[in-house]
Amino acid sequence: MTDEESLSIRLADDLDGQFEPLVRLFQDRLYGFTLRLTGSPQDAEESTQDTFVRAYRALERYPAERRRELRLRPWLYQIALNVVRNRVRGRMPTTVSIDGTVADVLTARADERPEVVALAAERRRQVASALLTLPERYGTAVVLRHVQGLSYAEVAEVLDQPVGTAKSDVHRGLRLLRGALEPELLLEAAGSY
Amino acid sequence: MQGREFFDDLRALGAVRAPRNVLEEVLDQVGLGDHFAALDTALGPVFVAWNRVGVSAVMKTGTAAEFGARFRARFGREPRLVADLPAEIGTRFDLRSVTEFERAVLLKAREIPRGEVRTYGWIAAQIGHPAAVRAVGTALRKNPVPVLIPCHRVVRSDGHIGDYALGGSEAKLMILQSEGLGRGQIAQLVRAGRSAPPSQLAANG
Repeated sequence: MTDEESLSIRLADDLDGQFEPLVRLFQDRLYGFTLRLTGSPQDAEESTQDTFVRAYRALERYPAERRRELRLRPWLYQIALNVVRNRVRGRMPTTVSIDGTVADVLTARADERPEVVALAAERRRQVASALLTLPERYGTAVVLRHVQGLSYAEVAEVLDQPVGTAKSDVHRGLRLLRGALEPELLLEAAGSY
Repeated sequence: MQGREFFDDLRALGAVRAPRNVLEEVLDQVGLGDHFAALDTALGPVFVAWNRVGVSAVMKTGTAAEFGARFRARFGREPRLVADLPAEIGTRFDLRSVTEFERAVLLKAREIPRGEVRTYGWIAAQIGHPAAVRAVGTALRKNPVPVLIPCHRVVRSDGHIGDYALGGSEAKLMILQSEGLGRGQIAQLVRAGRSAPPSQLAANG
C-alpha cells in the first residue's frame, strides 16, 4: 500500500489528526504544479493554500466511506487546477516571473560542474517560460504528465476527460512546446559552437 | 534536441519546495493551527499550546519567543501567542507526535490520581509490556504535555523520584510536594507498593 492509500484510510477515521500529514505529503507537489501553471511564486503559494483549505472543507462534509475511497492525488490536483482557473479567470495575463533558483538548487547534483549546472538551469528556465505560452488546455496536460509525473489515467481523471483525449492533449502540448523552444535552441546552438 | 534531456528538464521543473508558511497558513485557516499562552503552575509559569485536536505542548521556557522556537523545532509548526487559555484546557491531548507505545504509557500515567504515585514498572505491567520498564521511562521523558499528563507521578521502584520532562528531579519533587507528597512519603509509598497490589499504591486516603 502506498503512503497515499494508507493516508486516505486514516483520514476516513481521523480527519483533524491526519490533515497535517496530508498537507506535508502534497504541499511541494501542489506548489510545483501551480507554479508551472501560473509562473508566479506568489500566485502558486496562495493557490496551494486555497487548495488545501478547500480540500479540508470538502473532506469535512464527506462521509468516512467516501474519504476512505478517495484517490487523493488526482483529487487534490483537480482542486488545485480549479483554484488556479478561478484565480486567473477575468484577470489579464501578468508579466511572467520565472523562479529558476529554487528548482535549480534542488535538482543540481553535487558532482556536476558549475557551468553544466548553469547551462541546465538556463535551459529549464526556457522550458518553464515556454510552457506558460501554451494554450491552457495543453500546458496543463503536459505539466500533469511530464512535470508532475502523473499516469495518463490520473491526468484524465484530473481533467475529467477520457484517457485517449488526455493522451492526445499531452502529445499536442509536447509538440507545441518543442515548437516554442526551437528559436531559443537555435540561438543556444549558435552561441556554443 | 535530445529527447531524454527534454523530459529530464520537464521533470526537474517539478522539483520545488513549497514555502514554509504554507502549512501554518493552511492549518490556521481550517482551525487546526496551534495557539499558546502562559499558565501558572507549581513550577512557576509555563507555556501551554493547543489546537483543535487538543493540548499539544507544555514547556517551561524563559520567554514566549523561546517557546515558539522550541515548539517549531519539535513539531515543525508555528504556534501563535494569545492572551488566554481556553476554559476547558487539559481534557483532550494532541499526541500525534508520539508512537503507539508512548501513547499507551502517557494515557496510563494520566489515570494516576493527584496525591498518589506509581512506579515505571507498574505502568509497564499495566500496558501489557512488563519488561519494558526503561522504555516507559523514555516515553515519559518525551511527554509533550507534562503537568497535564502527570508523568511526575511516576517514580522509580527504589524510592528515588527519577527524571522529569519539565526540568529534572528537583522540579518533579516540587510539583509532587504541591500535590501533598514529601520525599519520605514517596519512598514509603513505593516500599508499601512492593508488597501491595499496584492499585493500592496510593497516598493515605
